[in-house]
Amino acid sequence: MKIARMAAVALVLALVAGCSKEKADPGGAGAPGAPAYGDAIVDGSIGDVSGFLTAVTSDSASHGAANYVFNGLVRYDKDLKLEGELAESWEVTPDGKRITFHLRKGVRWHDGEPFTSDDVLFTYRRLIDPNTPTAYAEDFRQVTRASNPDPHTFVVEYGKPFAPALASWGMHILPKHLLEKHPDISRSPLNKKPVGTGPFRFVEWKTGEKTVFEANPDYFEGRPYLSRVVTRVIPDPATMFLELKSGGIDMMGLTPLQYTRQTETEEFRTSFNKYRYLSFGYTYLGFRLSHPFFSDKRVRQAFAHAINKKDIIDGVLFGFGQEATGPYKPGTWVHNPDVRRYPFDPEKARALLAEAGWTDADGDGVLEKGGRTFAFTVLTNAGNESRAKTAAILQQNLAAVGVRMEIRTLEWAAFINEFVDKRKFDAVILGWSITQDPDQYDIWSSQKTGPKELNFVGFRNAEVDRLLEEGRRTFDMEGRKKAYFRIQEILAEEQPYVFLYYPDALPVVHKRIHGVEPAPAGISYNFIKWYVPEAQQRYTTFQK
Amino acid sequence: MAAGATSMFRDFLRRLLKNRLAVAGAVVVSFLFVVAAYPSAFARHDPSRIDVRKILEPPSADHPLGTDELGRDVLSRMVHGARISMEVGFVATGIATAIGLVVGLIAGFYGRWVDGVLMRFVDIMLCFPSFFLILAVIAFLGPSIINIMAVIGLTSWMGAARLVRAETLSLKERDFVSAARAQGAGNLRIIFRHILPNALAPILVWATLGVAGAILVESSLSFLGIGVQPPTPSWGNILTAGKDNIEFAWWLSVYPGLAILVTVLGYYLLGEGIQDAADPRLKGR
Repeated sequence: MKIARMAAVALVLALVAGCSKEKADPGGAGAPGAPAYGDAIVDGSIGDVSGFLTAVTSDSASHGAANYVFNGLVRYDKDLKLEGELAESWEVTPDGKRITFHLRKGVRWHDGEPFTSDDVLFTYRRLIDPNTPTAYAEDFRQVTRASNPDPHTFVVEYGKPFAPALASWGMHILPKHLLEKHPDISRSPLNKKPVGTGPFRFVEWKTGEKTVFEANPDYFEGRPYLSRVVTRVIPDPATMFLELKSGGIDMMGLTPLQYTRQTETEEFRTSFNKYRYLSFGYTYLGFRLSHPFFSDKRVRQAFAHAINKKDIIDGVLFGFGQEATGPYKPGTWVHNPDVRRYPFDPEKARALLAEAGWTDADGDGVLEKGGRTFAFTVLTNAGNESRAKTAAILQQNLAAVGVRMEIRTLEWAAFINEFVDKRKFDAVILGWSITQDPDQYDIWSSQKTGPKELNFVGFRNAEVDRLLEEGRRTFDMEGRKKAYFRIQEILAEEQPYVFLYYPDALPVVHKRIHGVEPAPAGISYNFIKWYVPEAQQRYTTFQK
Repeated sequence: MAAGATSMFRDFLRRLLKNRLAVAGAVVVSFLFVVAAYPSAFARHDPSRIDVRKILEPPSADHPLGTDELGRDVLSRMVHGARISMEVGFVATGIATAIGLVVGLIAGFYGRWVDGVLMRFVDIMLCFPSFFLILAVIAFLGPSIINIMAVIGLTSWMGAARLVRAETLSLKERDFVSAARAQGAGNLRIIFRHILPNALAPILVWATLGVAGAILVESSLSFLGIGVQPPTPSWGNILTAGKDNIEFAWWLSVYPGLAILVTVLGYYLLGEGIQDAADPRLKGR
C-alpha cells in the first residue's frame, strides 16, 4: 500500500504536459501527424524532488520523477487492473499464500548490467531491513519466505493470505549491483542519480530548479517517442500558469480558478488540451481524538453537520470535485455510497453540541462547558491555496454554531515533523492520496498510532481492527467488499475525520503533444506513447 | 511663557498650513483615523462573511470594490484592514519611539562609556538586515498581531535613539540646563523636565515617518503570509489573493495597493511638513 501524504493537490498530477504556438505543417517527411521520435516535454511541479528511491520518499513530486526511471514487477493499467511490468506473468496458488513471478528476459539497467531476480530479492531484503527508513515496509513484512530459484523467477510466500500482496509488488525494483555496498539506501548516491530499468534515463537534477530525463532507447516496451522530459520546479501556481502561457512549460495541473476563468479563450484552446477526472485523493478535517473537546463522538458529528461541504466544493473547487463520505473514491468498487451522511444543518449541530454539554451560558456567541470555551486551532500547510480557503469556510461554518476556530498555516516539513508526528495539534486539514488497493491498515489500525505512524489522530476501534485484518486476508472481491463497506459505515458514524471532498484533477497539456487518452487511471499511464508529429516539434537541439 | 508657547505653536501651524503637500498628507491621515475609528460607517458588509456564490465579482453597486476569492466584500475588508494597519503602525512606532527616547536620552546625557556601549549596541542592531530579522523572529514566535507589533517596534528604534542622543548632546550644554542644575535639579528631573520636551519635535517627525514604515512592513509580512492571519483582513493579505488572481481580478491588487501607497505617502508628506514647519532656520520661506 502506498499512501503518500499529499503535499499539494497539484502535485498529484505527477505526469502532465504542455505548450507553445504550433508551427504550420510544411508537409515534410512522413505523413503529417504521424507518431515521430523527438521533442521534449516540460512539466511544471510545485515541489522539488527529495530523492529518486521511492522506498524512502513519500511525496508525490519524488514518486512522479522516479516513475520515469524505475519499474515495479506489476502496475495498474488504464482501467486500473493489475498488469505485468518487469514481471511477464505470475501465478498465485489457490490459497493465496504463494506468488511466483516470471520476470521479463533481456531487460537491462541503464548502465548496461542485466536485470535479474537477484535485484528483486535484494529490493525485498532492503525494504524489510531496519536500516532502511521506509514507510512501506509493512506490506513486505507479511512475506515469510522469498527466493529466486533462477535468474528469471521470483517466489514469495505469505504466512497468511494477504490480499494486497500482488499490488504491493508495484514497488520499484532497485539495482543490486549499485546498492549492495550502501547499508542505508536513502544516503546512497543512487538516491540523487538514479539508475533504473524505466523508459527514461536520468540526465540531471538541479536542486530547486529542474530534473531532466532522456528517452531510454533500449526500453523493454520500446523507446518512448518523446526524447526528453524536463520537470521544472515552480512553487507558485500563478507563476506556473504564466510560464505555461508563455511557452516555458508544456503541462501542469490547473487550479479550479484557472480552469474556469483563465483558460476559456480561443487562444488558449488552440494551444492546449484540458482534461478533467476525479483525482485519487481526498481532503479532510482530522481531529486529535485524545483532545478533551474531540473525544466525544457527538462533537465530531456536530462538526460534520455544521460544515457546509457543498459551499466548500463550490467556493474552493468551483464545483470541480465531489463530496467525500469516507476514505474511498466514489465510483470505485470499494466505495460504499450508503453510509450515514451529515447534511448541512447548523440547528442539528447545535443540538448535538448541547447534548454533549456545550452551551452558550454567557451569551457571547461562543460555547462553554465546565468553564472552558470552545476554541481550538486548526493546522494546515502553507502554500496550499485550496486548504487555506477550506479553512476560512470551516471557520465561518463553525462560528455559526458557536465554535471558535483559529487557523495556523505551517511550512510542510515543520508541520509534519513537529506537529503531526509529535501529536501536537487540536485538528488538522490534510489530504491523503489513495491507491487502488483498499487496504488502509496504516491509517486506521489501532496498532499504528505510535510516533511517526500514520494513524496520528489516534483512532481505535476493535471492529475496524478486525475488519482491516479480514480485508487483508480475503481474496474474494465480494468478501473484501463486505469488510470495507462495514469499515466505511463505522468511520461515517464515528467521524474521526470529517471527510470533506475529492477534488478533480485538472491537467492541461500542450496541443502539439498527441496520444493523450484520458482513462479511469488518468492520463499519464501511456506516457511513453505520447508523441509530437515531426512538423510540430519544438525542441530539436539535442540528439533524437 | 504660556503665551510664548502658544504663539510659537501658532507660527508652526501657520507654516504647516502653507505647505499644500503637508495639508494633503494631514487630510489623508485624518481620513484614515476616521475610517479606522468607525469602520462600520464605511463598510456595509461583514468583512469576513464568505459567500461562495459571489466569488471574484468585479466592482458593482453592492460591492464598490468587488469581491475576493471567497466572495467577501473587498471594500469592507479594506476598511477593517485600515484599522489593523493603523494599530500596527502606531503601536509598533510607539514601542520604537519609547525605546529610542530612553536609550537616546541616557546615552546623550551621561556620555562617556554609557554612550559608547549604547551607541555600539545601536550600531550592532543596525547591522542586521531588519526585514530578515523580523521574518526570522516571526517564523520562530508564530505570527500574531501582538508579535508583529512587538517585533517591528523592537527592530526599528535605532534611528530614534540616534536622533534623541544628538539632540540631547546639544541640549545638555544649553543655559537652561545649567540654570536647572544650579537650582539643584537632579539628573532625572533635568532629563525628563528640561531635555525631553525640547527633543520632542524631531522625534515627532521621526515617529510620523516611522508609522509609514511600520505599515509597509506589516503589509509585506501579511503579503508573505506570516503577518496578520486570516480571517482578519489586512491590506497585505488582500494583496496576496490579488497576486494569485491578477490576470482577471485587477481590483484585488489595485485597491489595496493604492491604499498602501496613499497612506504611506500621506504620512511622509505630513512628516516632512512638520519637519519643515518646526525648523526655525526655514522660517523666512
